[in-house]
Amino acid sequence: MAQSAPVLRPGGEAGYGPLPRRAGARLRASLKDGTVIRWFGAGGALIPVLALGFILVILTVRAWPAIRYNGWGFFTGTTWAEGNLYGNSVRTGGVLHPPGAAYGALPAIIGTLGTSAIALVIAVPVAIGTALVIVERLPKRLASLVGGFLELLAGLPSVVVGLWGAVTFGPFIAHDIAPLIARNMPDVPVLSYFRGSTGNGQGMLVSGLILAIMIIPIVAATTRDLLGQVPILPREGAVALGMSEWETTRRVTLPWVGGGIVGAVVLGLGRALGETMAVAMTCGAVLSTVPSNIYQTMTTIAATVVQTMDTAFLDGTGFALRSLAELCLVLMLITLTTNVVARLLVRRVSGTALPVGRGL
Amino acid sequence: MSIEAGREKHPAAVPGTDVAAAAQGARPSASDPGEASLRATDLTLGFGQRAILTGVNVEIRRGSVTALIGPTGSGKTTLLRTFNRMNDKVAGYRHSGDVLLDGQSIWHPGVELMALRRKVGMLFQRPNPFPMSIMDNVVAGVKAHRMAGRGELKSIARDRLSEVGLWDAVSERLKDSPFRLSGGQQQLLCLARALAVGPEVLLLDEPTSSLDPIATESIEALIRTLVPALTVVIVTHNLAQARRVADRTIFLNNGRLVEHGETGQMFEDPAEEETARYVSGRFG
Repeated sequence: MAQSAPVLRPGGEAGYGPLPRRAGARLRASLKDGTVIRWFGAGGALIPVLALGFILVILTVRAWPAIRYNGWGFFTGTTWAEGNLYGNSVRTGGVLHPPGAAYGALPAIIGTLGTSAIALVIAVPVAIGTALVIVERLPKRLASLVGGFLELLAGLPSVVVGLWGAVTFGPFIAHDIAPLIARNMPDVPVLSYFRGSTGNGQGMLVSGLILAIMIIPIVAATTRDLLGQVPILPREGAVALGMSEWETTRRVTLPWVGGGIVGAVVLGLGRALGETMAVAMTCGAVLSTVPSNIYQTMTTIAATVVQTMDTAFLDGTGFALRSLAELCLVLMLITLTTNVVARLLVRRVSGTALPVGRGL
Repeated sequence: MSIEAGREKHPAAVPGTDVAAAAQGARPSASDPGEASLRATDLTLGFGQRAILTGVNVEIRRGSVTALIGPTGSGKTTLLRTFNRMNDKVAGYRHSGDVLLDGQSIWHPGVELMALRRKVGMLFQRPNPFPMSIMDNVVAGVKAHRMAGRGELKSIARDRLSEVGLWDAVSERLKDSPFRLSGGQQQLLCLARALAVGPEVLLLDEPTSSLDPIATESIEALIRTLVPALTVVIVTHNLAQARRVADRTIFLNNGRLVEHGETGQMFEDPAEEETARYVSGRFG
């Protein structure tokens, strides 16, 4: 330690001995040997864990009466009604609520999962394709230009995208694209959801497409960075073995960063599940109906919360807010579950891959 | 078999046939040893303005091991990588003159590049397994060239791994990651992978430069077993290695081919003063 370090005596010769005590000597020493850095590091590492736990606990506490009153019906019910806010409050099982309050989140849950699924199905191939073109095809300068635009696009405010979706993109889809699909889709299970009335520009498909547009830059930019790190040697090995460019990409380059790409997709999925403004502006905000085809107006969890916030504050019993907290809890659980599942997936897949450490 | 013949089932893919038989089958009339497998005529290579090799005329003898030696920057690796056209896509690469494989130009428009690379395999300075299981690594090329059905892959993998002496070490963990193998084992795996597509020529680019002496020894011993079924060209910085494994040696310096001859004669009694200076360690 600092006490036994060689010191330069005033006489000029080095020797061992106690250092003269100076103010802050201990702090200086612990800065030097890394104690301070270690504590800062530990604190920093704990923050995300604590924050997540804190939010979960607070949400659960706030939502607890709603959880008790709504029960499992919360997941199967399709009605979202605050009840008569001007009537006398009723107490059921110790929970105070307005008469006629009924909360079923099924439409919102289906809407959230549906729009996110549409977004992923479209965004993942497009984003990976974009990243591949940028890394493997475009000349360097053009690649960095396109990459820059991609990052710019990732930072586009969602309200801007939402407005464009509601005013321009939605009507275009509803009038010019969706009818073509709806007319030509065969009436068989699953595909029949693509048939029927195409609405007028607000609904599940439009919201899903808007979400796709919003997460493509995120996934593509992350994938591009990953692909740029794939070493040349295994790719040359594939080429020397007589593999075509596509085979090299499919069998070597993409698997090399497969775990990372799953991570990028989860990042995008998290954004899609939680995206509020753009979806609220394009979903049609129909709270209590499960959409019967993919064009119909609907709602998502996030959109429901933002759109019923105002009236929820009018509920003198506070029950509407508690139900919104329960809804948020459901959204958090969905997001956390997809994250964990993706991580498990990566761990299984990367068993045979990735010399660069597991669980990239 | 001509280069254009493309991706039809290759004899090497049939279980039970070894590389020797496959290679023989691939060129039934070419058993006489002195003949050239690869021939460079007046070959000049460069990247952009920079010339790497000038006016190289050389024959690589079929069924023998030929070493390419020379100081750093002498163009050994560029020449080697030209033999299976690995340089074609490198920015600024240019060539004049020609390289003939079995008498046909490798740049002939009728030559299918993927088929050429199947016939001229390559092993690199450092092991480069693919991010897939050990088993999938061995048969990656076989699958890409559609040389065998799904059911045959396992026996192909076993044969090739046995051939390089890796079978006993990995037979219990074929589904495992190749990145947990030692460096030497990884390089052997890459060799098995290259052999699995039944090449005629094998290009080795300093294949042992990242390996320890024991692994180097086993790779060198293996190289000797590949001839005369295959033609082997090896780039090496290690003169002792060239002496141990090569039948013939080519000395390159400053982008020119200085001397080409029997390995023994090249080291004991070189014709050129430059060669003598290099092999005796006076420069390079």
